[in-house]
Amino acid sequence: MAITITESSAKHWALRFVGVATLAGIAIYFASGAAPSTLGKITEACTLAIAAIALNLLLGFNGQISLGHSAFAGLAAFTAGYSVNAWHWNPWLSLLISCAVCFAFGMLVGLPALRLKGSYLALVTLAVAFVWPTVARKFLNQTVKQSTLTGMKLKPPTWTGLANNRADRALFLFWLSITLLIVAYVVVRNIRKSRIGRSLVAVRDNETAAAVMGVNLPLTKTITFGISASLAGLAGWLTAAQLTTLDENSFTILTSIKYLLALILGGAATLAGPVVGAFVYYFVDDLLKTNAPHWDFLPGPLSNGPVASFLLGAVVIAFVFIAPTGFVGLIKSQTRRIAIVVPRPLRHSTVAEASVEESESP
Amino acid sequence: MGDILQYFLNGLARGSIYSLVALGLVVIYQGTGHLNFAQGEMSLFATFGAWWINDHGVPLWLSILLAASFAFVGGGVIEFGLIRPAAKKSPFAVVVVTIGLFQAFNSLSGLLFKGAATGLSFGTIFPNKPKDFFRLPGGAVWRYENIGVLLTVLVITALLFLLFRKTKVGLAMRMVANNADSAKLSGVPTNKVLMLSWALSAAIGTIGCALVAGINTNVSLGTMFGVFLLASAAAILGGLDSPLGAVVGGLSLGVIESFVTNYPKDWWASTYIGADTATAAAFVIILVVLLARPSGLFGSTHVERV
Amino acid sequence: MTALLEITDLWAGYGRQQVLQGINLHVDEGTVGVILGANGAGKTTTMRAISGMIARQGSVLFQGSAIGAASPDRIVHAGIAQVPQGRGTFTDLTVEDNLRAGAFVRKNVGASIDADIQQWFGVFPRLAERRLQKAGSLSGGEQQMLAIARALMSKPTLLLCDEPSLGLAPIITQELFEVLGRLNAEHGLSILIVEQNANLALRIAHNVFVLETGTITASGTPSEIAQNDTVRKAYLGY
Ligand SMILES: Nc1ncnc2c1ncn2[C@@H]1O[C@H](COP(=O)(O)OP(=O)(O)OP(=O)(O)O)[C@@H](O)[C@H]1O
Ligand SMILES: [Mg+2]
Repeated sequence: MAITITESSAKHWALRFVGVATLAGIAIYFASGAAPSTLGKITEACTLAIAAIALNLLLGFNGQISLGHSAFAGLAAFTAGYSVNAWHWNPWLSLLISCAVCFAFGMLVGLPALRLKGSYLALVTLAVAFVWPTVARKFLNQTVKQSTLTGMKLKPPTWTGLANNRADRALFLFWLSITLLIVAYVVVRNIRKSRIGRSLVAVRDNETAAAVMGVNLPLTKTITFGISASLAGLAGWLTAAQLTTLDENSFTILTSIKYLLALILGGAATLAGPVVGAFVYYFVDDLLKTNAPHWDFLPGPLSNGPVASFLLGAVVIAFVFIAPTGFVGLIKSQTRRIAIVVPRPLRHSTVAEASVEESESP
Repeated sequence: MGDILQYFLNGLARGSIYSLVALGLVVIYQGTGHLNFAQGEMSLFATFGAWWINDHGVPLWLSILLAASFAFVGGGVIEFGLIRPAAKKSPFAVVVVTIGLFQAFNSLSGLLFKGAATGLSFGTIFPNKPKDFFRLPGGAVWRYENIGVLLTVLVITALLFLLFRKTKVGLAMRMVANNADSAKLSGVPTNKVLMLSWALSAAIGTIGCALVAGINTNVSLGTMFGVFLLASAAAILGGLDSPLGAVVGGLSLGVIESFVTNYPKDWWASTYIGADTATAAAFVIILVVLLARPSGLFGSTHVERV
Repeated sequence: MTALLEITDLWAGYGRQQVLQGINLHVDEGTVGVILGANGAGKTTTMRAISGMIARQGSVLFQGSAIGAASPDRIVHAGIAQVPQGRGTFTDLTVEDNLRAGAFVRKNVGASIDADIQQWFGVFPRLAERRLQKAGSLSGGEQQMLAIARALMSKPTLLLCDEPSLGLAPIITQELFEVLGRLNAEHGLSILIVEQNANLALRIAHNVFVLETGTITASGTPSEIAQNDTVRKAYLGY
């Protein structure tokens, strides 16, 4: 028999505290001992998680699909790289500007999305993702007269006590990415738990009904697109902070597909889903890249690259059958046997009591 | 004037291939509402198969037909083994499975065919020597190969329309597409119809891919990437559930692409528009069309009730 | 009289929720059965279970052979056609193609199907006028006529009708029941009807079943049912 735990009770808070403490412990463990390359990988996984969180807000909670999030991330990365290198802006200022630019651009893409649904919306956003590398290339040719743009060369601030060498930079980026991941998570969590979050979900489940209930459809949908794009921008900015050079191929359609896979594998429309999915996807991919066998008995491959890529495809497909509602759904259904969190019982309001009496009277 | 005709003819050839691949997408979409992201890579894999058969001394046209039949069977098996069970799991499941298939088939091609990454030389079933063309009034040339590709696509399209309109199987496909429940209640084995849709779609895609490979004179892992993107754009432009829309969408997209690539050559805008932006421009035009008609030029609109 | 359709202890539902909880009912050869029941009682669920559209347990015998686990297309082949609630029109197909769709299970091609289409156009001239129009553009009543004609195009032995009068004007409803009554009386077609307009349905019925929250609570001939006070008050309104 499973234990029941009431939401927001002391037990529930204790459980939450243990969870957070465990995660913090793992982070500190890695920060204190891991090699810069490992820290770099975790940083990349965090970046992917932020992008997946961004997509989750739009697709999971609002029901609008976007394959164009790579373009938003790319836009932010280029804005950051260019403003820091050409105009010598403060990188932290460029973070705000990048997100703001993405917000505006996201609202703009959200406008046609008002009229489109499903596969049609997927295509239009796919087009955005497809056009972005071309635009970026033109921009590089015309403006920088080079094929690449230098990254931000983000230095650890002095108050951190970290030096500007490879190891310390990796450590700094590691903590930075974790901080930004927490920010993105909290933003989306608070939106989800608020009144606005409920109207997002209402729009997803039935637009017409939501509109009848008084939700402002165009505003809700475009603003959600804007916020989601600016969160993707956060991931893009973080990429620019990690890479030494940016070119148009850093943000292609495949990047968007990666965001989508991370989200769905983790569990769309759950808060933890995109984070779990991103880490699982990133490290499965990484594991395969380094450890995939050489299949020399096959005529084609010269390296294990295609083998890893094939296995990744197979793993993704197998995953759908093992955990159709995503990794988080799988974990939830497993832990439900041990413990269930139930909502706090509603406090009796006068209205509720009145209606109860009424229905009992005849 | 001759130039304009020339661009038009070039566009028709590529556009007819987009139409064919788009038709394959529509055949699946109208029955199930699924967009098969792996369509391009499945047919690419089969086309590598055609290359392999041809490499063993079988005439090219026969190799392509054999590969298409192989794809026909493979498409049915994939529907039965992966898509159908996934569709029962969750609405996102099919999307993820087709993306996974995309990746798996592309890398499988790389694993099984040596030199696939850089490209294997692929012949054409049409005459394509330098002098194999008609000269049209005004100076435009119409290459035999382009005529052949266009004719092949038109014949396949016509056969498909006959299948849809004049046969019982076609009626069953239209019934399932329009109202799956009523189709079942009228005695249509809907599962078999869906399997057939995937089979047909894979075979059509394979012929499309082989035609592209013929025009490019080689086939590589990247061959279908752009073609699939434009074909899905064509399908959506025409309306995902309309075969006629796929054909019109594909042809117009090919023509648009050809004009955008060539026309602004000596125009101030050429720094911003040109070969590499042709696809981008095509997408912008589609966006405009979709804003005016959210379910494509020929797609059916459905009213949602509260 | 032999039972054409014999249902014993039929359970069915959606997912884990069981809607039908052990239903027994039967339709004898050449008779009309009527199912009465409140909204949500499980009438449509019963019809869908007979047609094999949903998972079900229990015994369903049709002409002596078990169809309780058969797929919908097998059941249509066996001779059961259904007019689903909400008409189930093929909206993008023409009126004529809708009728052809109904004849999908018939082996004989061409002439005899064309002849039947003409016959239905004779019964419902409104459909003949709109022969090549998309069926989605028909009015609700016209679509209902089309749905019945479509179901009968398969030449069934048993016709299942789920609320055929839904959304029809009273006069059209009367005409409809006249047509159904004639099909039964003149052609010996067996029919199982779900109908809210009980008074009308009972006029052509031989047997009546009252369905309440997933179980049959009363059954009998129309006159027996009319003598049952609770049933009369609830479904006949007097
Ligand atoms: N697709 C479905 N999924 C889940 N539950 C369903 C579904 N369809 C019907 N139900 C439930 O099954 C029960 C019986 O529904 P059913 O449609 O059989 O009722 P009915 O008797 O035909 O009612 P009505 O007179 O309104 O047509 C209802 O409680 C309904 O909520
Ligand atoms: Mg009903």
